[in-house]
Amino acid sequence: MRPAIEVKGLQKKYKDQVVLEEVSLGVKPGEVYALTGPNGAGKTTLIRCMTGLAFPTGGEVTILGRDVHTDGPRARANLGAVVEAPAKFYPQFTGSQNLSMHAQLAAMAPGPAGSGGKVKRVSRDRVREVLALLELTRMAERPVGQYSLGQRQRLGVAAAILAEPKVLILDEPTSGLDPLGIGLIHRIVTGLATSGCAVILSTHHLREIATYAHTVGILTGGRMVDSVDLRARQAAYRFRVDDPLGAVQTLSALPFVKKASARTPYAIAHIGGEARVPDALAHLSAAGIRVFEASPDHFDLYEYYRERVEQY
Amino acid sequence: MLTLILLEFRKLFGARSARLAALICVLLPWIWPLAPRLKAVYNLVIVSGWQVPTLSLITITQFLLPLLVALTCAEMIGTEISQGTLAPLILRPINRSRIIVAKLITALIYPALLLAILFLASLVAGLRFGFGDFSGGTGLGPGLFVGVGQLSSSEAFGQVLRSFLLDALALMPIAALSLLYAVAFLNTAAAALATLATIQIMNMLVVFPEALQKILITTYLDLYSRQGDLTQPIILMVIYTVGFSLLAVFAFEKRDL
Repeated sequence: MRPAIEVKGLQKKYKDQVVLEEVSLGVKPGEVYALTGPNGAGKTTLIRCMTGLAFPTGGEVTILGRDVHTDGPRARANLGAVVEAPAKFYPQFTGSQNLSMHAQLAAMAPGPAGSGGKVKRVSRDRVREVLALLELTRMAERPVGQYSLGQRQRLGVAAAILAEPKVLILDEPTSGLDPLGIGLIHRIVTGLATSGCAVILSTHHLREIATYAHTVGILTGGRMVDSVDLRARQAAYRFRVDDPLGAVQTLSALPFVKKASARTPYAIAHIGGEARVPDALAHLSAAGIRVFEASPDHFDLYEYYRERVEQY
Repeated sequence: MLTLILLEFRKLFGARSARLAALICVLLPWIWPLAPRLKAVYNLVIVSGWQVPTLSLITITQFLLPLLVALTCAEMIGTEISQGTLAPLILRPINRSRIIVAKLITALIYPALLLAILFLASLVAGLRFGFGDFSGGTGLGPGLFVGVGQLSSSEAFGQVLRSFLLDALALMPIAALSLLYAVAFLNTAAAALATLATIQIMNMLVVFPEALQKILITTYLDLYSRQGDLTQPIILMVIYTVGFSLLAVFAFEKRDL
């Protein structure tokens, strides 16, 4: 499948200072890509280059095959983005007025070839819908100047998804949000990805992102030092048992187990999916091994990240 | 495009500097009808309401109006940068040139808006003197305030309107220059200061050869009071305005934001 957004050999220099060096990445429709790295790694510059706010010294960024820097309006017609945390709006206008303004500007997009220059307009109902989705209906008619940081951040996400983008780029989307707000953003991002939107988000919250991102890119010193496919690392399950070594022996013998290892008091097994868990439990029980707990063995992204960043 | 221009005007009306400028334009004309020492200081007695707009224009146009225009036009970019609202605008599927052209159109109309407020406020302030035919001058035609005899109401209106329109034209290059500096510096204070410094330096160039003076913007800040053939200064103001505007558009197109 062709990436919805593709970055090829991106470079950015400010005078003699290299901020980004040969950065490449691709995010397919339906994929959630988390961009992480230490402060000053170049994440914000990368996001600004990807969205067309900044111009790269070299390389290119394409959204659905259109260059963001040479064919900006057509490329950005498929883009929704929040590039600052919290998102910025005209404080004297209400949330609803700000979104209506964004809706009008979205309607100014050049239409696709053969459409006679027409683009789908964002209706008032859609404005109300995204406000409701982000739980901002109660605040809709108040000036944004009266919003809390979290409410502004949610309004930013509302503006980004307003025109139903194919690519969504969010810089620190959960910054300043309470736990319920974080959960809300997770649900929205996951829902958009399920409907085929490619999502890129920059974050420092690794354990949080590990639960729903598909890929994590680690940026350090302006270079993309690693790209971790979390899907490939999350098929493992762990069983807390009274005899881990015996459990590993039993599990290894099963045809659907690709790999099994012991991490006392657990036996870790790559069993290919949740549906195999009852089978594995039945075989362990039949082998006389007592199982106290069975759960997904999440890949510890934080530990992995720490190791990778310390290498550079 | 109209959407963007309307948005710019909405933001302009919300800007504190624009509101302050409008307030100054409303209040300033009231000084003259109420001034008890006008005759002692300027040897002037107001005999017609048509003389009040002239007094307001003369006093505001040499320093205060360029300052107000420079500040608000610089704010059109500077405030968006400091508030962080320019980036969300550029993230929308619109050419950058359309965004800056909308700002330029608004900036170029802004001096005319302020002058319109000043003109209306001056008319209200001059009501007690009446707006009929009178013996004397508006201060903007032949014979200045003394005039050359009887002046009809329509002639007086024509003279005042012409001067206000010429002043709006003379302020356009300043508005465009301020916006150009705002694109370059992305900061309100720096852009306004650079614009005012440019005007002051141009004013100082009065000691240089006359040929140089003829091409300076500041030479024509008194355009409103000039008589005779004004083709050359008008063309020069238009060239400056278009030149600064094009530079602002080109600079904005390739600017990292």
